[in-house]
Amino acid sequence: MGAALARDLTTAEHETVLLEKNRGKAQTLEDDLGASVIPHDASEGRWLLRAGVARADLVIAVTGDDEDNLVICQLAETLSRGKARTIARINNPKNQDAYRLLGIEAIVNATDLVMSMIERDVGAASVVHLMRLRSAGLELVEMTVSESSEAAGCRIADLRLTEQGARISVVLREDAAHFKIADLVLEPGDTVIAVVELDSEDALRSRFAASRATPPRY
Amino acid sequence: MPQARKAMYAIVVGCGRAGAEIAARMAIAGFSVVVIDRDKYAFDRLPDDFTGSTVVGTAIDHDVLEAAGVAEADVLVATTYGDNSNLTVAQLARLKYHVPRAVARVKDPVRSRAFADCGIETICSTDIVATAFASRLNLPLGS
Repeated sequence: MGAALARDLTTAEHETVLLEKNRGKAQTLEDDLGASVIPHDASEGRWLLRAGVARADLVIAVTGDDEDNLVICQLAETLSRGKARTIARINNPKNQDAYRLLGIEAIVNATDLVMSMIERDVGAASVVHLMRLRSAGLELVEMTVSESSEAAGCRIADLRLTEQGARISVVLREDAAHFKIADLVLEPGDTVIAVVELDSEDALRSRFAASRATPPRY
Repeated sequence: MPQARKAMYAIVVGCGRAGAEIAARMAIAGFSVVVIDRDKYAFDRLPDDFTGSTVVGTAIDHDVLEAAGVAEADVLVATTYGDNSNLTVAQLARLKYHVPRAVARVKDPVRSRAFADCGIETICSTDIVATAFASRLNLPLGS
């Protein structure tokens, strides 16, 4: 994951340094990346310093080890005196609360990402999770109105979603975005983007779910 | 779970050579001690007359910490070979479970100082060993 990111960032003309503690991998990456590679452990302070953490804008920790990613981000924040933004990959979702408690806000949870891709591609769920705004206790979700959704044919204002901790922000219909939506009547095929309070998406799910189970498209 | 106690209660994370040694010494000093290690055979390093108890598991897992009674602990000592595991578990003990003291073994001097500046007690084995060599060889001390 780190190699692919480094390649993209380098291509986008950002000055990028990659730390990879596996010597063999580091050599291969140096040969084909063009980015500078430090063949050492990023959680060891001296190598982060040599990588220029003191003047870095962004430090991304994407190893397969959650403790390593956590400490790399904390160390980068200290060594850059809070200047560098940090992003940590989380491998085991169980560790998410620990990351937040220890001050790491920007977390990439591969498990959640894969789940939302599955939800979207397989169409198994009526509510697709787009983004979590944990500090505000909110979630951004996407739903598609199907023929048999309860919401099909309803005026949005009549759905009374705000009373249930949800608010539709935009309706996408035939590639056009509609923002003035209170009087809009939902049609099958509409895509709806909504902000919902964490864990209160059931109200939405019940309105948008297809009443007959649709077999997933594999 | 540890027995009912009035004694100070300590959790030792990691039962390698250093972990087994400090666990044994704390037990002798009258602490009620629980040792955590993910390898049950690591506990073979504890002395035969060790009075503490043991928990098998990964210490950053809250189920494992809670099984070791972390909420009651007076002190947690993190001794594993992984600096980052030690720093993570020490921070969780302090911030999540409000353990009064948590001390982490950290081999990397830069990491050790950085976390010490953030209020985590660290013991840097690299500094200690280098200082011991320097002292034995009558070199000027200081790092």
